[in-house]
Amino acid sequence: MKESHIMKIHYGTALAAVGLVAVHILMRLTQGFAQSLEYESVIANYRFLPYAGLLEIILILLSIHGFNGLRVILLELKQGRRYEKAVSYGCVAGMIGLIGYGTRTIVMTNMGMI
Amino acid sequence: MKDENKEGIGGMANPGRYGIERIAYWLMRLTGLGLLGYFIAHIYETSSILQGKMGWDEFLELTQTTEGHLFLTLVIGMCVFHTVNGIRIMLGHGGVGVGKPGRPDYPYTPASQNARHKIGIYTAIVLAAIAMMYGMAVMFGE
Repeated sequence: MKESHIMKIHYGTALAAVGLVAVHILMRLTQGFAQSLEYESVIANYRFLPYAGLLEIILILLSIHGFNGLRVILLELKQGRRYEKAVSYGCVAGMIGLIGYGTRTIVMTNMGMI
Repeated sequence: MKDENKEGIGGMANPGRYGIERIAYWLMRLTGLGLLGYFIAHIYETSSILQGKMGWDEFLELTQTTEGHLFLTLVIGMCVFHTVNGIRIMLGHGGVGVGKPGRPDYPYTPASQNARHKIGIYTAIVLAAIAMMYGMAVMFGE
C-alpha cells in the first residue's frame, strides 16, 4: 500500500476516533465518574448493543491509528529492507492481537458469557 | 574525520535547538507512545470484567487511588495535546496555514514555520493544561 494512502487512513482513523472517544468519555460523566465505573453500570453499558458497537469501532480505529503511529516512529529511527518489513508486520500483528483481545471482552460481556 | 560534524539521532533529537516546532515534534511522539501504552493497558484492565464483580472491583481499586487519578490526569493531558496538535499537523499537510512559497532569500526563513502554527502549538499545550485541571476537578472532586 502506498504511504500516502496509509497516512490518509491514519488521519481518517484519528478524526473518527476523536468524535467517538468524546462520546465514550461523556458517558462516564453522565452518572458521575466513580458511579459510572461500578460493575453493574459497566455491565449495563456492555449489554447495550449500540454502545458495545461504539466500543468495538473505537477499538478498531485506535488500534489502527496507534500501531501505524508506532510504525512511523520506528521507521523514522532506522531504515533498511528487513527492518522495515519486520516493523510493519510486527505492528500489524500487534494491531490484530489487540483488536482480537478487546473484541473478546466486548463480545463475551455483551452476550452474558461471564 | 568526515563524521565529525554529524550528530546522528542525537542531533535530530535535540529539543533545545530548533524552537517550539521541535518540542512539538517530540511531544507528539512521546504522547503518541504514552497513549498507545495506556490504550493497551486499558484494554487489559477492562478485560478483568470477565472475572466477575470481584475481579472488576479488585482491578478498579488499583486505579481509584491518588496515584491512579494523577496518572489519568496525565493521560488526559497527553490525549488533548495529541489531538489538537494532530489537527494542526493535518491542516499543515493539507496546505492550510503554511504560507505562500517565495524566493529563498537570506536568512531563509521557512514560510511554513510561521506564527499561525506556533500559536497552534501553544494552543495545544494550553488546552491540555485546562483539560488536566478539569479532569482533576472531576476525579478528586468526588
